[in-house]
Amino acid sequence: MDELILELKKEIIEALNLEGMTPESIDENASLFGDGLGLDSIDALELIVLLERNYGIKLENANEGKEIFKSIRIMADYIKQHRTK
Amino acid sequence: MKFSRETYCLISNSKVELNGKEIEIVSENNSWLNSIYYSLGIDYPKFFKMDNLSKAGFLASELIFREINFDRTIFHKDITIIGFNSSSSLDDDLIYQKTISDSDNFFPSPAVFVYTLANIVLGEIAIRNKIQGETSFYVIEKYDENLIQTYLNDVFTNNYVKGILCGWIDFLNGNCNVKLKYIEKTDEWRAK
Repeated sequence: MDELILELKKEIIEALNLEGMTPESIDENASLFGDGLGLDSIDALELIVLLERNYGIKLENANEGKEIFKSIRIMADYIKQHRTK
Repeated sequence: MKFSRETYCLISNSKVELNGKEIEIVSENNSWLNSIYYSLGIDYPKFFKMDNLSKAGFLASELIFREINFDRTIFHKDITIIGFNSSSSLDDDLIYQKTISDSDNFFPSPAVFVYTLANIVLGEIAIRNKIQGETSFYVIEKYDENLIQTYLNDVFTNNYVKGILCGWIDFLNGNCNVKLKYIEKTDEWRAK
């Protein structure tokens, strides 16, 4: 699980152009939106694409993202259960 | 008697100038535009999400507005932004095309897609500086100082306009060409 969290942090930093951030500087339990990493709605769409491209997970309902993207740990949990690649 | 005050910035592939004076840019394994960002000591993380066209225009506007101590703590309804170029958003369009050109690897990027319009650069500048006046972007065949000046003069005569950020903002395949200026009416203009 820790390996997946680290991998996910690296992918998010790259996909969302989080310049200056490192996996170590991101708290996997912190909120991704709002006060946490401060991501916006376009970032949310980019995370949906990341899930499909890297893990073969296609979200049928965009509202699912609200729960899945609460934190990197929750996201990693979801990936672990639903990944197809 | 001067009726207007002008501040201008030029950014090419190797040089940044503000009012004719070259700005020193320190490059440490960063892209040219990112090197300018770091050299100017800007703190605006959204910069790194922008496409090259928006980055180029944004940096020029930062230099200009910093020079005139522009107040970005209040909203400005009396400032207009007008941009021109010949490459439109083609630099970003080509990047976006790569994300949709392979049917076996078809993952359109929303973050790249949002910059596939040339006028987005003006929106980025407006958001950063709380500018709420009109913005317009024109794609023309080639740089035309007379056309830009004619348009600028026309907009400048509007009474509600206090200042105009205007000029050429072009970026394609690593070639950066920005000639941006801010013209504001002086007290003499308002008195005449």
